[in-house]
Amino acid sequence: MNVNGTAVTGYDAGARLLDVIREHLGLRGTKEGCGVGECGSCTVLLDGEPVCSCLVLAGQAEGREVTTVEGLASCPAGARLREQLVDHQALQCGYCIPGVMVSATAHLSRTEEVTEESVRTAISGNLCRCTGYTKLVSAVLTAASDTGAHS
Amino acid sequence: MSGRILLSAATESAADRLCATARPVAGGTDLLVHGLDAAPVNLVDLSRLAGRRRPVSRLPNGSIRVSATAPLSVITSADVPVPAALADAIAEFASPQIRNRATIGGNIANGSPAADLVPPLVVCDAIVGVRGSGGRRDVPIGDLLVGPGRTTLAPGEWIEYVDLAPVHHSGFRKLGYRRALAIAVVSLAWSWTRPGSGPELADVRLAAGAVAPTVVRCTRAEAALRSLRPDDVGAAARAIQDDITPIDDLRASAHYRAGALAGLVCELPMVAAHRGGKTERL
Ligand SMILES: Cc1cc2nc3c(=O)[nH]c(=O)nc-3n(C[C@H](O)[C@H](O)[C@H](O)COP(=O)(O)OP(=O)(O)OC[C@H]3O[C@@H](n4cnc5c(N)ncnc54)[C@H](O)[C@@H]3O)c2cc1C
Ligand code: FES
Ligand code: FES
Repeated sequence: MNVNGTAVTGYDAGARLLDVIREHLGLRGTKEGCGVGECGSCTVLLDGEPVCSCLVLAGQAEGREVTTVEGLASCPAGARLREQLVDHQALQCGYCIPGVMVSATAHLSRTEEVTEESVRTAISGNLCRCTGYTKLVSAVLTAASDTGAHS
Repeated sequence: MSGRILLSAATESAADRLCATARPVAGGTDLLVHGLDAAPVNLVDLSRLAGRRRPVSRLPNGSIRVSATAPLSVITSADVPVPAALADAIAEFASPQIRNRATIGGNIANGSPAADLVPPLVVCDAIVGVRGSGGRRDVPIGDLLVGPGRTTLAPGEWIEYVDLAPVHHSGFRKLGYRRALAIAVVSLAWSWTRPGSGPELADVRLAAGAVAPTVVRCTRAEAALRSLRPDDVGAAARAIQDDITPIDDLRASAHYRAGALAGLVCELPMVAAHRGGKTERL
């Protein structure tokens, strides 16, 4: 598989993608919250689509593109979103944020008309125990208006 | 090391061969949650089959063939629309991340009485395309459901597709604790035709989830629901009580489930009217 554009080999195909990312590759941005698909803190992009890496076997990602939160820095929507999250002071403990960033960046980069409702749906698989979502949503909306995607 | 071996099925016939000795995994959204440690060492990855065929296609007899190994998000963005009941169930299913992985085949095979995709399949008279190294068979969805976690799939068999009858009016609703990531406390799918322009109904199908050991077809309520007039709807809400055998569990009591399902039946006229012209989604 390619992770953030770099070819990766020598991993255990029967392990969870999450463990390969964190342990084999040492990319610790991706978090494990629940391990059962409920919290979204392990979200990565698989061929551009958000998935829970705790529920994907590494072998299922073979030959595919995986993007983790670290890989978002090189994409314009990801960089803008990071700025807006900071400007809006949208983080508290921060544990959910890598997953939120992955889901929201995927949404920003393929949605023409970003609305509050579309953002809330896009991050509905990402639980945040701290912020109450309001600031997260406005940060994503502002990042969208920077790209002209916000209606 | 995990000690597991993941065999990738590149074609349907490879899947037939590999499933003879190993357990299938598609989206992994049930298997990795419930059974990875207990699962056999050898797993067959069915997730690569999805790209080989169109996720949704129309058959010459008018039925809609839906891939059982394609992720749900791929099914709803296909160019051939699926019946509204299935589209509704997918729209409310889990979360975007899970919809990008979870499949219809996994939802059926997992055998949960609360499986959200099964009531829509029942009201669309789904024929399930099952295959394995022993050959292929077409099974009506009702014949696959036995009890919690159990189906009539034989060892080595896997589900390739489901064929849905082209129903005219259909829909699905579930009651859960919240909109995303909620397992159904009760669910109800329906389909019918409207012979005239009035409230009369024909070919009514009702199926309920989380109120019996399997998803159940509610034939007594179907017989009572001759129209969307209040007296017929009331009779159906009473009759459905004899179609179900709900239990108490951590999500709700049996009593609550029975009442909530009656409520969903009573709201059918409102939901049907609200959809107006939109009902012809198929
Ligand atoms: C956070 C979360 C939320 C969820 N929310 C919902 C929800 O709202 N509604 C709902 O109904 N379910 C929900 N589920 C359960 C699950 O996502 C579904 O049942 C899903 O459809 C399973 O499909 P899968 O491809 O991921 O199955 P897998 O996990 O890959 O497999 C499940 C079982 O089916 C077998 N199997 C898989 N594919 C096939 C096939 N083609 N033929 C034969 N056997 C097969 C496997 O061997 C295994 O026993 C949720 C799960 C999670 C983790
Ligand atoms: S750790 Fe994967 S969803 Fe919670
Ligand atoms: S900031 Fe703490 S969980 Fe979201």
